Amino acid sequence: MSARARWRPGRVVAALAFAASALVMALPSAAAADPVVLRVGTTQDLDASNPFNTVLVSGFEAFQLTYSLLVEFDKDAHPAPGFADSWERAADRVTFHIRTGMQWSDGEPADSADACFSWGLALAAIEDASYVGVGYLDPNVKDAGVTRIECPDASTVVAYTTDQSDRILQVYVPILPEHIYGKDDYTAIAEEKFDAPLVGTGPYTLAEWKTGQYARFVRNPQYWGPQGYEDEIVLRFYSNPDAMVQALKSGEIDYARDVNADQFEQLRADPRFTGVVGKANGFTQLAFNTYGSGTGETIEGGGPSTLALLDPAFRDALGYAIDKKVLLYRVLGGYGDAGTTIVPPVLSDWHVEPTTPRTFDIALAGQKLDAAGYPLDGSGKRLDKQGKVISLRLVTTSTSADYAKAAAFVKSWYGQLGIGVSVAVMDSSALGTLLLPSAGAKYDLELWDWMGNPDPNSLLQVLRCDAIENTSDSQYCNDAYDSLYDLQLTQTGEERHDTLAQMQNLIYDEAPYDILYYDASLHAYRTNRFAGWQNMPASSTPLFSYGILQYTLLTNAADAPIPPVAPATDDATQPAVPDLPDAGGAVSGRPVALLAMVAAVVLGAGVLLARRPRPAGADDDG
Amino acid sequence: MNVAYLVRKLAQALVTIAAIVILLFVLFRAMPGSPDRVSKNPNMTPAMQAAERARWGLDKPLVPDQLVAFIGSTVTGDLGTSIKFRGQPVTEVVGAAVGPTILLVGLGEAIAIIVGLALGALSGWRRGGLVDRLGNGASLVFYSMPYFVIGMPLIMVFASGLGWFPTSGMTTPGASADPVGQVLDVAGHLVLPLTAVTLGLIGAYSILMRSAIIETRAEDYITTARAKGLTDARILRHHAFPNALLPMVTFIAINLGYVIAGAITLEVVFSWPGLGTLTVAALNARDYPLLQGIFLLVSVSVVMFNLLADFVYGALDPRVRS
Repeated sequence: MSARARWRPGRVVAALAFAASALVMALPSAAAADPVVLRVGTTQDLDASNPFNTVLVSGFEAFQLTYSLLVEFDKDAHPAPGFADSWERAADRVTFHIRTGMQWSDGEPADSADACFSWGLALAAIEDASYVGVGYLDPNVKDAGVTRIECPDASTVVAYTTDQSDRILQVYVPILPEHIYGKDDYTAIAEEKFDAPLVGTGPYTLAEWKTGQYARFVRNPQYWGPQGYEDEIVLRFYSNPDAMVQALKSGEIDYARDVNADQFEQLRADPRFTGVVGKANGFTQLAFNTYGSGTGETIEGGGPSTLALLDPAFRDALGYAIDKKVLLYRVLGGYGDAGTTIVPPVLSDWHVEPTTPRTFDIALAGQKLDAAGYPLDGSGKRLDKQGKVISLRLVTTSTSADYAKAAAFVKSWYGQLGIGVSVAVMDSSALGTLLLPSAGAKYDLELWDWMGNPDPNSLLQVLRCDAIENTSDSQYCNDAYDSLYDLQLTQTGEERHDTLAQMQNLIYDEAPYDILYYDASLHAYRTNRFAGWQNMPASSTPLFSYGILQYTLLTNAADAPIPPVAPATDDATQPAVPDLPDAGGAVSGRPVALLAMVAAVVLGAGVLLARRPRPAGADDDG
Repeated sequence: MNVAYLVRKLAQALVTIAAIVILLFVLFRAMPGSPDRVSKNPNMTPAMQAAERARWGLDKPLVPDQLVAFIGSTVTGDLGTSIKFRGQPVTEVVGAAVGPTILLVGLGEAIAIIVGLALGALSGWRRGGLVDRLGNGASLVFYSMPYFVIGMPLIMVFASGLGWFPTSGMTTPGASADPVGQVLDVAGHLVLPLTAVTLGLIGAYSILMRSAIIETRAEDYITTARAKGLTDARILRHHAFPNALLPMVTFIAINLGYVIAGAITLEVVFSWPGLGTLTVAALNARDYPLLQGIFLLVSVSVVMFNLLADFVYGALDPRVRS
């Protein structure tokens, strides 16, 4: 036997040993001293551990675990003591009282100097008309009307404001350790890598971050609040949502964020899991390109294809042609709410329903278009006031398949009015650029979404005149709306509510946006390891909402009373789907079924090939 | 092998790489969209956006400013900093992803080459036999399947169903600090994606090798060997297999060049932190510097392995050198 032949069995043994060791390793091993780890799955990778450089929800979750905010959120998303344990409002200022004896996780004292340093970064940027990092946090300070901050002693922070609003209690600026980053100004802080392990005052601090894999947080023994049950928290990042759901089923993770409707229904039907429908603080809108409304400007070779889009009567009529209920069930699987006004219902303090709501009625939409001066021609096509056939270009993005589905319905309904719609789906970067007037703004309808802050201002400002060439996707400009926006900045309570109600109705009636639906965020968690899950606030989800209180309120499921703590899923009951039409071209099949069909076809072909007749001349079989 | 041949091939490779560098620059800038429009920040003012563009050098003219800066820095090995992973040098981000990809796809290629060639040789040698019918059938099935179709059932059965292996990822967070424990942890995570990549790759090698063996079987020297009374196994091992292997050299070299590119869908299915997953992330963020870094690395790798194939072929077959 040759040496080569003798070596072969060795390779087989080596391969088997490798597989066996991997198998043994993969089997669960229980060691008494193992830390209690809460494992949370999300399909959103972390983009930065530097709070000023993250634009993602996962990034906000990560930095809030590590760093306290001056004022945190309670379980109802209302202001709660954080780095400051109390505060008082005066006409022109808010005085915050910093906790005494608080320490950073490295044992250094944490006091007002840290707060003044952190807010000072944002204030310095605002003063220079600039921004910190990616510019997501400092606008909170500006929106709160903060002009100056002082730290007269170690336990006092005084913030001076332009108005008496309480937005200063919702500022997402993490308090960073001055003894570590104090040398940085607002530009230098953006260049800091914030390599783990981080030093913070939050309940858990970032101990390890492996890009694309996970971020691990360990208990901060110096945390000023009650310690959580779990010793560690791991955010696991999945590039494949199906794999995330499989990981939840196998017990690799305890919580899955943003599962799709099909997966959600499967998980809900399984008693091992609890599903949560969290109402999103945002909406999906059909925006009309109204460029020139209010300003009379035009774009050479660009802008809307018909002046009809600038006519509120035209847009209003089209509003009757959108069946929100169909969109809700056919696009969101019934999870979410039909859209109306620009402030989502989840912001219950400010949301109002429209005074004169539109209902779905294609015939009525046609009559209103006729009455507004947009008749049908002999071939059934709708004409604008210049006698041109109206054919609209709808642009949307590929970041979610829901957009293309919704667009197919819009195309179908508008088609019944004699209005042609061509749909173009592109990536978010291309769409974001296309919307700019400087890039031509060559579109008529845009279907995309917005997500807001705890305060509605970030959603309201996208319809201001000065949002054009920036965040505006409707190119809408109305001085009356801008005036109301400026007015509400100075108001609080009922006064502000009334102004916001006027603004919501103004936008609903003028219809630069047709809010199609308020999305829902579908989360699911296992109930066998942790108890004490609560939605925070009640209309939202336990995690990835406002604040990180939930992480400190979990308990051992084994210690939970029987029946366990009532799950926060009463609203997860999906009503029976009414008999609704499909849009031509709308995709509603289930990927798993498709996958099974593909596999069956491929396997069948393989079997056929394997069984093919033996070729003539093959003489040495066996 | 003469020096002129080596120099000629080397020069061709360098010219190819230079062309790739310029092509990459043009390609990514020809795509619609801009990195500063990816994130929808309702708070961003036009001035802030302009500053952001300036920060990434996007405010300067494409030619010559951005092109010259790009070529200059690429030559010096500076691939810039990632836009998505702010502040991190591209070399660092790409470097972290290369290892996992080589581990997964490189190992998959190695196993697929060994198993695929053996399977193809046996199938071709005994055409129409049991090994051929089953092996060739299975090869065709797996060769035609996208990775996610192979990967998802593996996850559902062996990870979620039986719980033998982790569903995805490469390591367990906070896993053992000792090196042996870490190796075993990675090995456990590697089993399913490695199985998927190997199954997907075996087919190509097996099918090609089968054809090569079938052709070789008809050669006169095989008939001669048989006439000399050599055993079937000996003829296959010492006469047919080595000769059939010759055309596989180029195929293997080209395939090895693509190891570095990873298998994008496979890595995404298993959330494997390699270059495939990174490419998708960079593409979504219009992270030009990162994309350029990844594509440059992939291109150079393919060119270098082709160069290697030329050298090996030149050494094996003198006719090629002429």
